[in-house]
Amino acid sequence: MLEIIRIHNELLGTYGDRGNSDVIKFRAALVGIDSRITDVSYLDSLPTQGDIYLLGGAEDAAQLLSLSALKKDQALTHAVDKGAVVLAICAGFQIIGSTFVSSENQVIGLELLDVATTPGDKRLVGDIAIKSDLFEFPLTGFENHSGVTTLGIGVAPLGTVLSGNGNGINGVDGAVSGNVFGTYLHGPVLARNPEFADLLIERATGSTLTSVHDELADRYANTYRSLTY
Amino acid sequence: MVSPRLAIAITLARSASWASRLLGNNGETLPGRILLKIEPEAIALLAQSKKVILISGTNGKTSTTKAVAKIVRQIGTVSTSGSGSNLSWGAATALMSKTDFAVLEIDELHLPSVIAQTEPVIVLALNLTRDQLHRMHEVKRVADRWHAEFTEATETLFVADIDDPFINYAVANSTKSMRVSFGGRKHPDGAVCPKCGSYLVWEEVNYSCSCGLTNNVYDKKFADGSAAFRNAALANLVGEALGAEQMVFTENDLERTVTKIFGTKTAHFRLTKNPASWTEALHAEHKSDVILVLNAREVDGIDTSWLWDVSFASLADKHVIVCGERGIDLAYRLNVEGISSTLVTSFDEAIMLVEKSEVSVLSAYTAFFELVM
Repeated sequence: MLEIIRIHNELLGTYGDRGNSDVIKFRAALVGIDSRITDVSYLDSLPTQGDIYLLGGAEDAAQLLSLSALKKDQALTHAVDKGAVVLAICAGFQIIGSTFVSSENQVIGLELLDVATTPGDKRLVGDIAIKSDLFEFPLTGFENHSGVTTLGIGVAPLGTVLSGNGNGINGVDGAVSGNVFGTYLHGPVLARNPEFADLLIERATGSTLTSVHDELADRYANTYRSLTY
Repeated sequence: MVSPRLAIAITLARSASWASRLLGNNGETLPGRILLKIEPEAIALLAQSKKVILISGTNGKTSTTKAVAKIVRQIGTVSTSGSGSNLSWGAATALMSKTDFAVLEIDELHLPSVIAQTEPVIVLALNLTRDQLHRMHEVKRVADRWHAEFTEATETLFVADIDDPFINYAVANSTKSMRVSFGGRKHPDGAVCPKCGSYLVWEEVNYSCSCGLTNNVYDKKFADGSAAFRNAALANLVGEALGAEQMVFTENDLERTVTKIFGTKTAHFRLTKNPASWTEALHAEHKSDVILVLNAREVDGIDTSWLWDVSFASLADKHVIVCGERGIDLAYRLNVEGISSTLVTSFDEAIMLVEKSEVSVLSAYTAFFELVM
């Protein structure tokens, strides 16, 4: 049973990112893998036995609340140490980084990714396409943030920006370290890019998915690849 | 007295209105644009001679504005904004008419500046939920702006549905307010207190924050009801404050619903434009054939990610046909929820596939106007 943990959706659900977990479950089912989505609220404690953890975009106050809850028991860090997969979007990406700025105060994040976010001088809103070495085709999505995220030395981005802004510096988006993925792409990103969902399933199960077939998903992904870069 | 510049501006704007109508446009925004170009203070100057009532909120603005206008017409002449002309120039156009009252629908982001310019007698604040985030960015950002202006406008009465914590926060420091509860309602985006940033504690449908923000303290309480019911009650409270008699409205009066015939099929349209309005619409009864139309132009919201926050489960046993410029986004979202649909490229094709004589149509903003107006 593939355990999918949706973290604090009531706080980190502003930009539709809850759909990422639905897509993982759907793609897993197509190749006969049973999975279960567990919604963990701010008031719950985070289980450490999850296979895939998901964090989404949020408004500022919600982002701080989520971080404070996740810091209490360090459960996400323990899960990552055991090899769990993490996908964190936008404010969630900032939460799992080293530092970000909230209401002019610097905040220490969960430090799962060595990235630092500072406020940019303008809001970055619109369609975005990036090319990642992990995938044959570009990834597309929608960004809506004002953070500028700088990668630590030696940290790999998720991809280079083809159109849009991403991290807002150095022409890249996101960050990757082991099984931990951060990005600014909404859409939700896994709905728009089903092969990204497959990669997360592969990393979580340790097996290669060869025969995922979903014509509508492919058509959807291709529609936006042809439009956004 | 009208200044010479304003008089000229009005004359030119009226001609433009006439020309615009002649060309088949609705004539609601062009005159206002011309008016404000020639006399940037036109809104403030024109508002001085009448009592201004403003209506804003994410959902229900247009229909509630119509209801308020109808109620206020009992006690005086009324000028009002037309369907969806809710930016500054729409307000300017409506203010040109010589009437006792102006009842105006105002866009959420434009509301603070229109309040400052018109010094309204009453502002009706309906609700704030996620909508067009590429433009609004965050719900809290809109609420902060409202809160600042609602605090500043000490002469205005704010009629507010405080079951919505963002609205409650907006009127929290207002000098004159009528705080209305319908017995509570869970807010889809209400996990954080907009006033203090704490995790907002909800007991079923009511919230109470340690900072004092709660819907358990109100000036007026009604039984719970649909969005249409609530908006009718709020419209009547505005009327009551002005001395008008109460009026009765049906659900249909206060929903953006339109019935239109396409060949042998009767289509019942409903406007759906964001998670809250889709959710409200999907709770209603539908025909066995349902057409869903999705666009993502500027006023629809150009990011469709929010589709994943709507449960379409109520369509599970329906014959669902999807179209619109972003129909594929919706078709895939439905598929992942286990709801099969037929994706077609145009509404004409969609209507051909309808099996029974009547069909329910849930339509995005821009498609709604193109198909039924």
